[in-house]
Amino acid sequence: MRHAHRSLWNTLALAIFVVMVFPIFWMVSTAFKREDEVTSLTPTWLPLHPTIQHFRDAIHHPFFWQDVKNSLIIVCVTVVISLALSFLAAVALAKYRFTGRKAMILLIIGIQMLPGAGLIIPLYVVLAKYHQVNVLSGVIITYLTFALPFCVWTLRGFILGIPKDLEEAAMVDGSTRVGAFVKILLPLVAPGLVATSIFAFITSWNEYIFARILLNDQARQTVTVWLSFFSGTQRQTDYAALMAASTLTAIPPFVFFLIVQRRIAFGLTAGAVRG
Amino acid sequence: MAVSAETTRAWSRRRPLSRARVVRASVPYWLLLPVVVVLGAILGYPIYSLVRLSFQHYQLFELIRHKGQYIGLKNFGSVLHDPVFWHTALRTVIFTIANVGLTIGIGMLLALLFVRISTWVRVLLTAGLVLVWAMPPVVAVQIFNWMTNPQNGVLNYALTQAHFGDYFQHDWMGSTLSQLGLVTALIVWGALPFVAITLYAALSQVPNELIEAAEIDGARSLRVFFDVTVPIIRPVLLILTSLSILWDFGVFTQPYLLIGQPHIHPGNYLMGIYLFEEGYVKTDFGRGAAISILMLAMVAVMSVAYVRRMLKVGDVE
Amino acid sequence: MRLRVVAAATLAVLLGVAAATASAAGQRAAAGKLTVWLQVDAQSGWPDLVAAANQQFQQDHPGTTVDVQYQNWGDHLQKFDAALAGGGGPDVIEMGNTEMTKYMAAGAFADLTSLKSTFPNSSNWLAGLAKSGNYGGKTFGVPYYAGSRVVTYRTDVWKKAGIKGAPTSLGQFTTDLQRLAKAGSGTKGFSPVYIAGTDWYFAMAFVYDYGGSIAYTHAHKWVGNLDSKNSIAGLTAFKNFWRAASKATPTSDENNPAPYTVFSQGGAGSIIGPGWFSCCTGAKYKGVTAQFVMPSHTPGQAMPGFLGGSDLAVPITSKQTALAADWIKDFTSTSSEKGLQAKGNIPNATSLLGNSVNERAASRSWFVPAAKHWVDVENGNILRNMLAQILKGKLTVAQAASSASDNITSVLNQP
Repeated sequence: MRHAHRSLWNTLALAIFVVMVFPIFWMVSTAFKREDEVTSLTPTWLPLHPTIQHFRDAIHHPFFWQDVKNSLIIVCVTVVISLALSFLAAVALAKYRFTGRKAMILLIIGIQMLPGAGLIIPLYVVLAKYHQVNVLSGVIITYLTFALPFCVWTLRGFILGIPKDLEEAAMVDGSTRVGAFVKILLPLVAPGLVATSIFAFITSWNEYIFARILLNDQARQTVTVWLSFFSGTQRQTDYAALMAASTLTAIPPFVFFLIVQRRIAFGLTAGAVRG
Repeated sequence: MAVSAETTRAWSRRRPLSRARVVRASVPYWLLLPVVVVLGAILGYPIYSLVRLSFQHYQLFELIRHKGQYIGLKNFGSVLHDPVFWHTALRTVIFTIANVGLTIGIGMLLALLFVRISTWVRVLLTAGLVLVWAMPPVVAVQIFNWMTNPQNGVLNYALTQAHFGDYFQHDWMGSTLSQLGLVTALIVWGALPFVAITLYAALSQVPNELIEAAEIDGARSLRVFFDVTVPIIRPVLLILTSLSILWDFGVFTQPYLLIGQPHIHPGNYLMGIYLFEEGYVKTDFGRGAAISILMLAMVAVMSVAYVRRMLKVGDVE
Repeated sequence: MRLRVVAAATLAVLLGVAAATASAAGQRAAAGKLTVWLQVDAQSGWPDLVAAANQQFQQDHPGTTVDVQYQNWGDHLQKFDAALAGGGGPDVIEMGNTEMTKYMAAGAFADLTSLKSTFPNSSNWLAGLAKSGNYGGKTFGVPYYAGSRVVTYRTDVWKKAGIKGAPTSLGQFTTDLQRLAKAGSGTKGFSPVYIAGTDWYFAMAFVYDYGGSIAYTHAHKWVGNLDSKNSIAGLTAFKNFWRAASKATPTSDENNPAPYTVFSQGGAGSIIGPGWFSCCTGAKYKGVTAQFVMPSHTPGQAMPGFLGGSDLAVPITSKQTALAADWIKDFTSTSSEKGLQAKGNIPNATSLLGNSVNERAASRSWFVPAAKHWVDVENGNILRNMLAQILKGKLTVAQAASSASDNITSVLNQP
């Protein structure tokens, strides 16, 4: 029955694709347009005389490559550390019963309820004391503290979602509890790990306020701060170059997604196959 | 399950602690240690500082001298007596309900759609969603601004061409409702990818045989969804809903940039912006801290139902 | 497979941490550094002047490097606040002249009074700018540059409308508007004068032109003055002029869209703004762009122009006040100021003033009340909201002005 309706669903999905992606299409299309087409009173859907000049302008804008490198370092370190630490913590909170469990869960949730904006200056003061201002490690530390509660919280949900009988099957094999987790649980939670890692990557990649406040040297800044200098200037905003620059900054998270997306189980779950 | 049942029975029999049992019992604490250390070391002082600030008169003058004046609950009193606070709170609650409802609702539908489409369409749609997700908010705002520009925005152009009416130079930022409507569109648009992809990942954990078994029994799709699927993805749904509430209630970047600083005024404040304006722009850090704590309390109240569900769901037998 | 992933991840983290902390070590090693925060206008407008100042400074102080870090107007104050709280701030900072009073009152800057005479041209500093750097009789800010407001117009549209030369009074300009509208009627939505609805820099000029003001002090208290007879007359004149001249939306601001963008699209016969607007009016109208001074309602006079500008100050957290002052001297030297003038700005001293349209417009100027909390009035968008309500027709001029005035009084009188 599902197959008969498949073409209907496909059409709907494609329509949704067009609507969701339109702003991105607009951004990319503008990036290739000639200057006069960009500001003309009647918008043109596709560039009539495509040019890559704006991409060249964006790349040659000062500090582009350095800031991309900085962003990559910050984000990769943040993602790896937060995934590792939060997976352990999520296992503890999902699979074990111990004193302080509820308190810990409430703490994790509570931290996420704190308005981040309220912490800007107190956090800056703490980091400044330990010379973590204007260095990448300070930003990494900051991003970790905001990513960890979220990752723990989300991974816990995924771990709780693992059907019990799969775990039991593993235990029967005689492996220890920890061993069972690594051998059986990890692949089952893989979709959750992937979704969480994509989230951690993108959130860190796109974060602006703390990166702006903590990093002063333009050679040390992240690519989101670099972007803000395109439009922060009082003099003429080069919209096309801004769109080209934005297109470039959206590429790394997309590439990261392509690399890890194979782990999201498209189709039948691994558990069902094993069951 | 054999192991945990044994452990439970063992504890209830109060056998003397053996070394193996102590080690096994301490495992969760070791697993949690790294996270606790990182969070405690970094957030410990700032959170303490935030609470302390809320009881102090701490403006630019005090900031420079690193010394505030204790004024007890005056900051809280002043905020709670400010009609702007209450109007903003109400406006933000309505805004949050609308945003969360749309995000989770449409996200769930998208995830369900994912299951039913051909692989190539799924890959295409996922790729598109990730592109949307990867868009920095600063850029997304620029694009939305650009598209809704009264002068030459494509939205006005398209609506006029499609004969929906004369939208020539229509000002989408003209009224508060219109402004917040645009902000909602932007936020839901940006939040859908994460919710849809995460829910799809959760759906992929639902064993196919369960669904087929229910369908063979003659259950209709809606029944199958609520009786089979939802219980299994419930933890993830609860998490996403509670997170959406947190984020949408305190959202700052999108409305601040989309509406634009020149157009922000108490009539269209959202809580996140109110906090920023009172605390940072007016450099009254004590008051800003008090607002932060009040926001925390409000969010806690809004998500208590979900949190309690989460705690119950997570109980290990 | 999993082992490889773990190994790769560990390697990535180690490399990353090494890279991240390497920069920290490098920073601690650098001594003898002067940090300067300038706005991006300098980076895009006159980087050569900055380089020249740095070179001069380094010649006089070998062993001290200058690190210029560019800031955005949107968030530089938040960054400054964080630096004041935790350290790591600049030795020299560029502040907008309307931002100075609040920070001077809080004691954020070092007292430069004793060094004042050593700054180039200090005896001739532009009164309007110099005032913004003074507080309680002491000097905290050194005038950097200023800008007034002029009308940038299309000579071809003027010609088509049959208007010869610049209007000499507001009344004449208003009469010209009809002919200008007809000349540009080929373009849908054409504005004879494109003015954003909430452009308070321009609107308040009318208030001051008619003898009103935003606020004044009386017995050590601020009193909002927009509800006075003169102010209301000015606001009404603005409303009438705007309604006839501009097709912008009542809620639009002067940055979005930028008036010169509208100009370059052919949507405006003229625009009002800083003199440097002529840079960006588009290739299409390059040969037919010129400027004149906005006329007052009194024939033969200029309408008071908002004297925007920047000052340079030394934060109190800096440990190198003398060096910072030296850098400021190099950057505001006569040659540097002349360089700024060549880029379309108004230099900081009357002895350097020329005869450009921009500088002539500065002959009559107005400025915001020198109040500690003025910045809060600006950031609270009180004036913008008032203008939007008046132009939308939601409130009468008297109603809107009265409510704004009360609001301003309470904000300015905060402790």
